[in-house]
Amino acid sequence: MSRAMETSRTVTRRPDFTARALVPLGLFFGLALVFPFLPLGTRAEYLLQIAFFTLVAAILALSWDILARSGQVSLAHAAFYGLGAYGFALLGKVMPWFAAMPLAALIAGLVSLILGAVTLRLSGMYFAIATLAFTEVVRTIIQNLPESVAGGANGLLVPALLGGNARAQYFLAFGVLLFTALVSLAIRRSRLHHAFAAIRQGEETARVLGVSVVRYKLAAFFISSFLAALGGVLFAGKTFFINPLETFSLANSIAPLTTSIFGGLYTTLGPMLGATVLRVAEELLHNSVKNGYLVVYGLVLMLTILWLPRGLMGLLRRGKHGGEL
Amino acid sequence: MTAVSFQPSVASQQEVVLRADGLSKRFGGLLAVQNVTFTQYSGEILAVIGPNGAGKTTLLNLLSGVYRPTAGRLHLLGRDVTGESMEARCHAGLGRAFQIVRPFPEMTVHENVTVGALFGKAGVSLPEARERAYDLLERTGLAAHAEKAAHELTLLQDKRLEVARALATQPRVLLLDEVMAGLRPAEAQEAVQLVRSVQGSGVSVLFIEHIMPVVRDLADRVVVMDQGQVLAEGTYREVTANPQVVAAYLGTEEGLHA
Repeated sequence: MSRAMETSRTVTRRPDFTARALVPLGLFFGLALVFPFLPLGTRAEYLLQIAFFTLVAAILALSWDILARSGQVSLAHAAFYGLGAYGFALLGKVMPWFAAMPLAALIAGLVSLILGAVTLRLSGMYFAIATLAFTEVVRTIIQNLPESVAGGANGLLVPALLGGNARAQYFLAFGVLLFTALVSLAIRRSRLHHAFAAIRQGEETARVLGVSVVRYKLAAFFISSFLAALGGVLFAGKTFFINPLETFSLANSIAPLTTSIFGGLYTTLGPMLGATVLRVAEELLHNSVKNGYLVVYGLVLMLTILWLPRGLMGLLRRGKHGGEL
Repeated sequence: MTAVSFQPSVASQQEVVLRADGLSKRFGGLLAVQNVTFTQYSGEILAVIGPNGAGKTTLLNLLSGVYRPTAGRLHLLGRDVTGESMEARCHAGLGRAFQIVRPFPEMTVHENVTVGALFGKAGVSLPEARERAYDLLERTGLAAHAEKAAHELTLLQDKRLEVARALATQPRVLLLDEVMAGLRPAEAQEAVQLVRSVQGSGVSVLFIEHIMPVVRDLADRVVVMDQGQVLAEGTYREVTANPQVVAAYLGTEEGLHA
């Protein structure tokens, strides 16, 4: 039996990605590492604080993006960020920070499995609304715990991270972001990447091809929430004081979403770049435009999304498909 | 429930790969598939034909696990998979290519096939899956398109991709839902060659088809469905000679031989 397809050409086998793709990421971390040592002048303290919250915003955006890669566009990120913050506020009183931090993250990760299991069959708008409702449920529960436990609606004091040393706190945030980025890269190199992308781009087709959708969706939830909670710990340990309304605010769920879209979805560098540019822009606008800086900020965001549908990463990427990190 | 039995002494051609026992599916008041029973043997190409609305696609959805049957059992390679999920059936050896092609749009052609190779069977590493995907692209004539985005392909190439991706899961039985639909005659000939080569690699094929010459060229046996039921079963010659089939399926003699 002669077969037409056997005469076809052989294919050039390319590696999944090359080390060159890591260069921009290395640059980012290199700059972040030397930042506190730059001659920042009299405003050094203020700039270091902005840089700290930029790192936290990057952790939140990147951890949100990891979940989004599996097709789960969540509005519950504030819940896990907040669980990290509250977990640390409570645990930090009874154990050292390096134990309280991962434990708070673990709790958030486990709680996220509940939400993940409940929303397995939901998608798109319904999924988003369910996650939004979940955030409200978590906030309400925390708020209604006895005041002696979680401070109620008034909030509670948090043990200062690393004795309140701003530079040490910065490097801790740097370490957590580096860890988050390494997790993101490890996912990119593993079967998780292929499972997430397949589920996102066609859940039923993924099932037909043998992808255990439940397992991978829950894995995405756990990883994402664990990392978001680490960001929450940093936030709480920096600000000394947290309350339910601000910690579990809608803004905290929306920011990682807009940041990732702005920077470039489903990439490691994109959400980090997005967080950096947006944080700096927000600060500059806040200082120069004063009133109405949010209007300008919103406009910049809108125009960028219109002109750069793949975010800032769309500017960086040469190849059209594959190989991106 | 009838147990599936085959004697090891009998040639492997006689091994039962797929056995449907009284499969039925009811949607509200509509009995879309009614008491369908058939057996497919190893290496066999089985065609399911029937007029529109006969329940062919519903049957395929019952086989692949999109729907759970209202009644009946399904055995795959001697194992009862009636209650099992799509992914479990895939792991057990069932592959499926869709009528309306469903590539993962943001992936390259090669990445699409890699997904099938990676998750279709347990214990396949990522490097192995990538290698196997490249092999399959060469076998299915897509070698030159490996790094293209799936949405850049022509319809024929998309169908090849659909088949390559399903084959990547290493199926023993491959379900094809009207793979010829929308293809020009020359392209359909190529697709026929592709299905033949699939059979040549030891995979049993069950396909739904409207185009009768394709059924004639490919099918070892034909199951004719009408109004959710099996109307006739046999070789192409047998079923097309059956007056009931002629009456129900196309109404006219000319239609059947078009």
